[in-house]
Amino acid sequence: MTMTNEPTSPQSPANAQGMLAVAIDGVSKTYPGADGGTLALSGIDLHIRSREFVSVIGPSGCGKSTLLRILGGLLSYDGDVKVNGVPVDGPSPDISIVFQKSNLLPWLTTEANLRLGAEIRRKPVTSASIAEMVDLLGLKGFEKNYPHQLSGGMQQRVSLGQALVLRPSILLLDEPFGALDALTRDRLNIELLRIWEEERQTVFLVTHSITEAVLLSDRVIVMSARPGRIVDDVRIDLPRPRSVKETRADPLFSTYVNQLSELMGVV
Amino acid sequence: MNDVFANERFRSAFDPLVFLVALGVAWEASVHLFDIKPYLFPALSDVFRVMWEHRWQMIIEGGYTLLEVLVGFAFAVVGGVVIALLIFFFPTARRTLYPMITTMQSIPKVALAPVMVVWFGYGLSAKFVMAFLFAVFPIIIATLGGLHGTPSNLVEHFQSLRASRWETIWRLRVPSALPSFMDGCKIAIPLAMIGAVVGEFIGSQNGLGYVILVSSSTAQTDLMFAALITIAVLSMVLFAIMELIGRIAWWRAV
Repeated sequence: MTMTNEPTSPQSPANAQGMLAVAIDGVSKTYPGADGGTLALSGIDLHIRSREFVSVIGPSGCGKSTLLRILGGLLSYDGDVKVNGVPVDGPSPDISIVFQKSNLLPWLTTEANLRLGAEIRRKPVTSASIAEMVDLLGLKGFEKNYPHQLSGGMQQRVSLGQALVLRPSILLLDEPFGALDALTRDRLNIELLRIWEEERQTVFLVTHSITEAVLLSDRVIVMSARPGRIVDDVRIDLPRPRSVKETRADPLFSTYVNQLSELMGVV
Repeated sequence: MNDVFANERFRSAFDPLVFLVALGVAWEASVHLFDIKPYLFPALSDVFRVMWEHRWQMIIEGGYTLLEVLVGFAFAVVGGVVIALLIFFFPTARRTLYPMITTMQSIPKVALAPVMVVWFGYGLSAKFVMAFLFAVFPIIIATLGGLHGTPSNLVEHFQSLRASRWETIWRLRVPSALPSFMDGCKIAIPLAMIGAVVGEFIGSQNGLGYVILVSSSTAQTDLMFAALITIAVLSMVLFAIMELIGRIAWWRAV
């Protein structure tokens, strides 16, 4: 615990056993409703090692966001979910979430929004670390702007920054760039890649973009439509550090994309 | 010259002013043209003359009315917000207080004025209560609407940040509700004025409503109009002030 700059949990004793960041065993989820409710997830088993980048893809309504919310402690569930060895029964302090819709408060500036999460979680943040985050995410010059004065891509940068300021050991990303245009999305993926290569949080990314999943991940989980099940678990053996240009040029890249497209029934 | 008249901001101040002056001229001219009796419809110039002659009366009685409005409105803001918070956060209050308030709202509050005089006498307190009664309902409804209008994704985000109930209220719900609350205040302030004047009608020795009542019984129609114009101006100024204060909550549409 001497390196305060590192994410805290990989060093914590809870994580020592097996270096498992996330352990999901036999999890299902039923949303209440008529006829016994809707079965959204069924028999999910998924283990994520610490510092692993895992993406989940699947058709709309396959329950991938539901799974993310269960991990985030925002939904009840049946089965067994552990985060850093601790059973999940509410939002964990080790986790930060970035949602598709920006997390920003419209009445706060970029700077204040970056601080917000840390203030609520009572984590001390210095002005230096905020300035560092501004630099890291290319937000320089926009510190005093309000969210409505920022583009969609900028807003998501700030949302991501707010999550990163918390120094989470696990980052849950729920289609964070899903509402952005392709170009902005590519650019943010590059940033995400760069940040992750440096900080190596455990990442759980929900996306509907196969290329995004292949580009970023160590593993891609494919889910089926309702009730959501895990259909396949594909290891992505592309060399790191990756870059959008070179990695996409790699013949293996298109092999993975084709394989996953077939699994998704796109091709 | 052309540039000035093309300016949107200039026109939005200039056009209504010209229209108002035109109406005033038409008023003045028609009174003289058709030789209308002053006790029926006084000329605008007479109204202004009487207003000037009675300027101290206007200021003093206007002061009474203003005090009634402001005190009643202040109570309506505090009471309205407290009631809205209770209804929003406590299911019991939602089931008991809320239906009772909506039922109360269907009673014509003008009809309550004599009751208030019976309870609170002919002094200021009855007028405070009348202004309060007129103003409180829109504040309750607007505040409730604002509290309910907090985006659900932000509520979920706060939950994931492990925010306490109090922090969620203070840092999220209250600022989210602020623009809508300010709208409620803008609706409420002219209503508080109506409440105060109605209160003065029923029983009073002071206020602009009292001036109207007395001048009507003595056929001083010009004084009556002078008091009416003073009420209208006062109401407009209060509304403009609310509008300005409302700008601190600029984040409604963003």
